[in-house]
Amino acid sequence: MKKFLGICLTLCLLLSALTIPALAEEVTEISFWTWRPEDTAFYDAVIADFEAANPDIKVVQNAIKNTEYNTILSAALAAGDGAPDVFMSRAYGGLQTFADSGYMLALDELMPELADFSDSARGGATSITDGKIYGVPAVSQTMLCFYNTKIYEELGLSVPTTWDAFLANLEACKAAGYEALANGTKEGWCCEFLFGGVGPSFYGGNDFYDKVITGETTFMDPVFVDSVQKIKDLAPYMPDMFEGVAYTDMQANFINEISAHFVGGSYEAGYFSAENPDLSYDVFAVPGLTADDPAYVSVYADMNFSISATTKKQDAALRFIKYLATPEFGERIVSELAMVSAIPGVDVSANPFIAKVLELQENATPYIFLVGFRYEQPTGSSLFQSAAQDLMVDKASAEETCQVVQDGIAAYYEPFQK
Amino acid sequence: MNTGMRYRNASPGKKLFIILLQLVMLTYVVLIIYPLFNMVISSFKSTRDIMLRPFSLPESYSFENYVTIWVDKGFGRYFLNSLLFTGCAMVFVVLLGSMAAYGIARYKFRGNTLLYMLFLSGIMLPLKAAVIPLFQIVKSLGLMDNPFSVILVFIAMGLPSTVFILSGFMRTIPGELEQAARIDGCSDLRIYSQIVMPITAPSIALATIYNAVPIWNDFFFPLVFIQSDKFKTLPVGLSSFIGQHSTKWDLLFTGLSIAIVPMLLLYLFMSKYFIKGLTAGAIK
Amino acid sequence: MTKARNWKKAAWVTFFVLPGAAIVFVFILMPLFMSLFNSFFSWNQLIRGEFIGLENFKKLFTGYPYQERFANALGNNVKWFVVTMLVQNTLGILFGYVLSRGIAGHGTYRRIFFIPVLFSIIAVGFLWGLYLKPKGMVNSLLSLMGRQDLTRAWLGDGSIATYTIIAVNIWRWVGFPTLVFMSAIDNVPAECTEAAYLDGVNEWQMFFRIVLPLIVPSITIISVLTIIGSLNVFEQVYTMAGLDGPPNYATDTIGTLFYRTAFGSVDSGAPEIGIGSAIAVIIYLMTFGISLCSILFTKSKEVEL
Repeated sequence: MKKFLGICLTLCLLLSALTIPALAEEVTEISFWTWRPEDTAFYDAVIADFEAANPDIKVVQNAIKNTEYNTILSAALAAGDGAPDVFMSRAYGGLQTFADSGYMLALDELMPELADFSDSARGGATSITDGKIYGVPAVSQTMLCFYNTKIYEELGLSVPTTWDAFLANLEACKAAGYEALANGTKEGWCCEFLFGGVGPSFYGGNDFYDKVITGETTFMDPVFVDSVQKIKDLAPYMPDMFEGVAYTDMQANFINEISAHFVGGSYEAGYFSAENPDLSYDVFAVPGLTADDPAYVSVYADMNFSISATTKKQDAALRFIKYLATPEFGERIVSELAMVSAIPGVDVSANPFIAKVLELQENATPYIFLVGFRYEQPTGSSLFQSAAQDLMVDKASAEETCQVVQDGIAAYYEPFQK
Repeated sequence: MNTGMRYRNASPGKKLFIILLQLVMLTYVVLIIYPLFNMVISSFKSTRDIMLRPFSLPESYSFENYVTIWVDKGFGRYFLNSLLFTGCAMVFVVLLGSMAAYGIARYKFRGNTLLYMLFLSGIMLPLKAAVIPLFQIVKSLGLMDNPFSVILVFIAMGLPSTVFILSGFMRTIPGELEQAARIDGCSDLRIYSQIVMPITAPSIALATIYNAVPIWNDFFFPLVFIQSDKFKTLPVGLSSFIGQHSTKWDLLFTGLSIAIVPMLLLYLFMSKYFIKGLTAGAIK
Repeated sequence: MTKARNWKKAAWVTFFVLPGAAIVFVFILMPLFMSLFNSFFSWNQLIRGEFIGLENFKKLFTGYPYQERFANALGNNVKWFVVTMLVQNTLGILFGYVLSRGIAGHGTYRRIFFIPVLFSIIAVGFLWGLYLKPKGMVNSLLSLMGRQDLTRAWLGDGSIATYTIIAVNIWRWVGFPTLVFMSAIDNVPAECTEAAYLDGVNEWQMFFRIVLPLIVPSITIISVLTIIGSLNVFEQVYTMAGLDGPPNYATDTIGTLFYRTAFGSVDSGAPEIGIGSAIAVIIYLMTFGISLCSILFTKSKEVEL
């Protein structure tokens, strides 16, 4: 035991020798945090290119597990230094938290090029309190329906243009022994994106969104209740005991060609293709009742690059995020991450999938609860996610689900309190 | 003579009881071994294979994932760091924890229970709850991105339950033993190290393994306090396989299979104290 | 003379207790109390505002939706406590007893029973997720046994999800009380048990009359750790269900409620540090109170013995 203790003490001493800081270098070193451990190699490559063009700056990437990211970032920012110089920031309500706390640098004047970004992209990076932009928007995500083209060919199906045609396709897949729709509802947020893919064509996209934001209508609007009922109508095509099917199972079933459809975010594409290069899939917007109804997709801005308000290396940090606003970087997002870049003027021809998503975005509508109602507690998202879980297993009706959402939001949302 | 739980010579009722219990315990053994086996075979598969056929045997036993982890992902260093951090922390947890437990359990003084409860307070809330002030404390001590921050936090995490468990057991040591030693002229330090420590060896082993596991597996505090790659630990490395929308289960399982080995070894080493327990009882 | 001895005693106590106490104080108690203190302030996002007294507590106990969530979560903690106490600790004491009394194979069992504790929670969550999912191994086994009617979405069905997670947690932890009780029973002096056997007591009497009273300290340790553990449940729910306690808060505990209130949840909302800290204060006070009661209670018992 004593020997063991001695060894450990020596090790401790050795360790302390290791921690003596290395000699300072002449280049400016900036730290850069992301919540995308899956993209570390991508950002390493981006950083390498940036450093080649800017030899006086060194960028150190630190990818933190997504679910712990906000906690660790807030601790670091609250403590002042120790915080990253540049970090990936959440959009909408998530951005608001850090912007209102004064932890981020407003970029309006520092980066005039942000004016060229689309309104919807900037929306995710703008504080609703002061109207300033606090980040360089990186990507947009689109909620749509993935389908397996091989299964479609095999069963002689075509892309549906009406809701009934969609249900008929699901029926045909089910009859052929496939799992028609991969979606499960074990996690609440999977209900939200299912609705994001299905609902808008029924509640009428932007018209309804604008009205509900101003309080002209509410979530009890029969149109909205009906749209919520539509996800319930998909239940027969979802896996057996879908309430126990987790997100990873959904992905796996679509990747492994067990499921024919997957309603979800466009961000899945990269993972789908990486896991099963033979998987042939395409996407469509879930259609409305008739072929004349515009088939809406829910779209939201995701990920911004922000600068810490307290950084002492603002110039270097700014040069780095300016690089992250160039079409060159945007094209890499498209070709390497298979995501839709928010940067204007990006050539997407390299990735036909992204081109298709952009085509569907012609009928884009804000991802309703995230874009509009994630600023205060209880958020529209948290209300809908949990209420919809009950809806799916017949514990609540569509009307009751909407009532929960409406009442919850009305508790703080002034336009609803009239 | 009728001793203990031997099946032979037992009454019919007792026989039935023993059979039932054996069934329960054997089932439990299967429920332990199978996931362990499942974890290890998964490390030889691809992520897709794990998701598609989680229970099938791997097609081939190539150590590709192990090489990827150990060489390309730099887990050799992470592993060593983890050993160092956990080892250092545990030495102090056991040393300071048994000292404090001895102080609390074997001396009567005012505020004894209060002190005991204060130690116990340390496990009444998850330390995660205090991460923001903790960050400030570590920063003001100048320990950011320094292994000592993590080691100190680990020591603090392990102490409360160690003190709690050990003082509980130390209380049960008969006072005569100590008095006799005192008459023989033993100092308090010697009583602690030569008499109390050896008697409580099984519970020290218990407290050690009880605390070493969460410390060894903790990725949160190293993630908070360490930024340099050279100080990262094994669980931090593992957390990097868990992405926002996708997880590298193959590498994760490989890492988890590696990570459990030191704990298994430590446990097997410690278990000799539990097994010895039977004879240790006879000392008294 | 006595004064000198008292000084000496005080010096020894300080010597033994101070180093550990100092570390615990600086790295646990101080930051914890600092964050508990936050509950008395108003918060604008992550920035502390003015002192508002007990306003946050009032909101927590009477305001929407906190009151409802808190009561629901606390109810689940009670389930955790009752089931863990009844099932895990009873099994632990049973296993500990028979292992100590030398049931066939006890050497092997002793070595194996603790292995689940060694698993990382990530592995436990994923593997048991595989076994318990709708098409998982548990349901397959049930179908194989012809009990299709018993198959469930174990983690997705709100009426049983909490119990499923508790069951997995018992799988993970039962080895700990087993070892604690086993080593306690191992330490019961052999003369006591041998004398009892010679007197012809049966196993039942042996356990209740001779062994049980002698292992009261271990029972206290395990009970208090169970109380603290049940009020602190977080990791298990977080990895097996999610931070929001799905489905529809059926698996929510005050631990998960606290965490997502204090730090926000990536998928559903921003942090409310004031309310979150108030929840932490409540957890702390409850845990402290109940632990203190059970410690004082057994202390009085020990004296009686």
